[in-house]
Amino acid sequence: SPPSSEDEAPEEVSFGAAREVVETERKLMGEAARRHQELLKEKRRRRQELFVEQKVRSPLTARFAPPPGPAAAPRPTNCPLPAETEAAARGRAAGAGRRAALTGFTSLYLTRPKGNYTAVRLKDRSLTGLHQELAKDFLNAQLYGPDANRVQANEFFSLENKKDPVKKAAVQFVDKSWG
Amino acid sequence: MGEFEVHRVRFFGLVPAGVRCLAYQRNGARLALARTDGAVEIYNFAANYFQEKVIPGNEARSVEALCWGAGDRLFGAGLGGEITEYDLSRLCVAHSVDGGGGPIWTMAANSSGTQLAIGCEDGSIKLFEVVPGGIQFERNMDRRQGRILCLSWHPSDTYIAAGSIDAIHVFNVSSGQTVQGIMVSYHMQKVKRKCIVWSIAVLSSGTVVTSDSFGRVQFWDWEQGTLQESHTVSTSAVLSLSVSEKEDSIIVGTSTGATYQFQLLPVKTGSLEKRWVRTKPFQHHTHDVRAVVHSSTALISGGLDAQLVIRPLMEKVQKKGYDAALRKFTFPHRRLVCCARKARLLLFQFSQHLELWRLGSTDKTGKDGEVLPLCRMPEHLVQLKSKGPEHIYCSCVSPCGSWVAYSTASRFHLYQVQYKGNSISVKKVPKVPKLVLPAYQLQFSADSGSLFIASAQGSVHVLQLLEPGGCKHLHTFWPPSGCPEAVYLLAVSADGHWLAAVGGDWAIHVYNLKCFKHHCTVPTYNCAVTALAIHPVTNNLVIAYSDQQLFEFSIPEKQYTAWSRMVQNSGLHKVWLERDSPITHITFNPKNPSHILLHDMYMFCILDKSLPLPDNSALLMNQSTLKQLPETARQWQLHAFKICKKFQPLLFADLLDENSLVMVERPIMDFKTQLPLPIQQKKFGT
Repeated sequence: SPPSSEDEAPEEVSFGAAREVVETERKLMGEAARRHQELLKEKRRRRQELFVEQKVRSPLTARFAPPPGPAAAPRPTNCPLPAETEAAARGRAAGAGRRAALTGFTSLYLTRPKGNYTAVRLKDRSLTGLHQELAKDFLNAQLYGPDANRVQANEFFSLENKKDPVKKAAVQFVDKSWG
Repeated sequence: MGEFEVHRVRFFGLVPAGVRCLAYQRNGARLALARTDGAVEIYNFAANYFQEKVIPGNEARSVEALCWGAGDRLFGAGLGGEITEYDLSRLCVAHSVDGGGGPIWTMAANSSGTQLAIGCEDGSIKLFEVVPGGIQFERNMDRRQGRILCLSWHPSDTYIAAGSIDAIHVFNVSSGQTVQGIMVSYHMQKVKRKCIVWSIAVLSSGTVVTSDSFGRVQFWDWEQGTLQESHTVSTSAVLSLSVSEKEDSIIVGTSTGATYQFQLLPVKTGSLEKRWVRTKPFQHHTHDVRAVVHSSTALISGGLDAQLVIRPLMEKVQKKGYDAALRKFTFPHRRLVCCARKARLLLFQFSQHLELWRLGSTDKTGKDGEVLPLCRMPEHLVQLKSKGPEHIYCSCVSPCGSWVAYSTASRFHLYQVQYKGNSISVKKVPKVPKLVLPAYQLQFSADSGSLFIASAQGSVHVLQLLEPGGCKHLHTFWPPSGCPEAVYLLAVSADGHWLAAVGGDWAIHVYNLKCFKHHCTVPTYNCAVTALAIHPVTNNLVIAYSDQQLFEFSIPEKQYTAWSRMVQNSGLHKVWLERDSPITHITFNPKNPSHILLHDMYMFCILDKSLPLPDNSALLMNQSTLKQLPETARQWQLHAFKICKKFQPLLFADLLDENSLVMVERPIMDFKTQLPLPIQQKKFGT
């Protein structure tokens, strides 16, 4: 006669054994999830590296890339480039030579967005010129600034005509750009 | 006398630069003037205020202060941070020294002219020693916070007072230490502006006079640190001040263009106590007066409206009459326009470019005073821009119109202009011989075959112009007894035989161009030459001097002509001698050999040597009277001077052909609109 297992009571499992089973299951699930996450991270890292490598191929970025390694402190993204000196740039360019050998390295510097800065040679814009401009700005602000009570030529000379002993008409310039 | 068609030219867009600094040389009676474009000019007061020297400006050069040092040396300093010495013989920068304090706002020499003190942007005052061949840094004074905008030495040279923003500092010269600091501010409700001390002066009594941006002129006792007197003269800034030598009179200049005189007057008649009183107001300028000078007899002011005004003080002038007249100078005392008669072209010289124009033409005729319609408008043919920051010293176009030359401080350019139908091509002439630069005056020969270049130490170079486009150095003329100054005027005879050259020493040398030898020297006269020209037929050299005298010298005979002697004997008319501006151009009419055409800023004159000279009782400007008289009555009133004052201000006038003249005017209003903005003037009811 066939034995009907449905009539029989389930197997008796001890509490401890059951707990162990659940725990192992959980662990396995957790590990699987972690492995899944790591896989995704790895994928992302590989994609990032690819982009980085493409960027490194451009000689300009290679020159200004900071030296790799844990010692390099991360710089804020909006740090203005004119503050760098030419010597520091040269130092970094030397470091960039090591770039090609490294893989799996991501740098924030090379992926920063376009800042609002311009790189200029200090030789072209002399310090004297800067000082002179500041001085001229001060002079202009004092003599022609908002408190200066200046007036357009049209208004000024019309008033002169009115103040003359023989009064004349107001001045109207044919060329409107004269004021 | 003649009827002329007049090409009335008003398209020369010259905008003179404003006057920025003035420095008066007391013993030499010369005034140094610096403009906002960096140009430096010297006016000789003894030679009727003639502008005897011009050093053109430079885009890179700013002049904020000018002062004379020992030995008649001229120094300038500006926002470029350098102290520059000017070579007044070679009309260029002699050398520059970096101040070391950033932009320089002010500079003053001590009473002996052996030390220069500069006030810098970084708040320091530096002392420089004037040594032979240059200047040497001596030491720094105590550095303050805030830029030093003005400074002044005490007459004993023991201390210096300096004005800054909201403060005045007084320094002991020998120790360099600050001995006093005074706060200058404006205590009125709701006013948050800083008080800028624009100018300062120290009197022998120890009183410090300042002028500031709130329109005040203040007198301080610097030792006590107290304010003695305060006068508010204007609602806008008082930018400049100058004290007379006797320290009893002060002139101040304001942003509105007004200048005021302060005088030290007794409180009551006969009282010993004196006080400063604002006496005379003047409104000679329309724009800011950034420089003033108080000479022993006059108040001198320079404004951003490009005018230099000399106001003699009535009580100081010995001879009443023309000596006491107000003098106003706006335009240079030299030609900026060159005319190619045959080609009917005009060359305009700007500070950094040249414009070549072809005159228009008309096919109509008309009566006296009528305006004729043009059938062809004037054309702007070529614009030649000078590369680099240097301004142009001189320029010229050949009579045929095919050659144009100009010179800057370090470069000389020669161009060939070719006219093919409607198109124009400009080609630079290569391999120009190396000459000592700059060239101070250029003149083409009448046949356009040679170019004469006025150079340093009285020399003149002769360049032969070759077709299809080249040149060769032929000869250099040197004055027989040497000359430290540069040649500033040239004249060539129509037959190509003679060349006349005037140097800064006012000696006129005549050279023979056929045998390349010095021919003769015109007898010396104690005044500057303002214009000279050689008559095409007689080869007489006609000379105009800055005291308005006229001479005619026969070159072949090496002596003054009989007509010239007659002019000297009878004397020129008083009204002629009392003209304000010098004659800048003399020319002739080949069809009328007895005519001399000349002009100054305000009149054009045809001098007919065949007519009698007027004496002082006759009316000099009698053209309008003559027109009203019938033919028969006219001949009794006719005299040699036919003057027209219709065209003014006249920058240039020339005869194009026997029936037409060209007059280049520059109405003052036409350029005033392009100056920096003036201050608003208020008036009731407007």
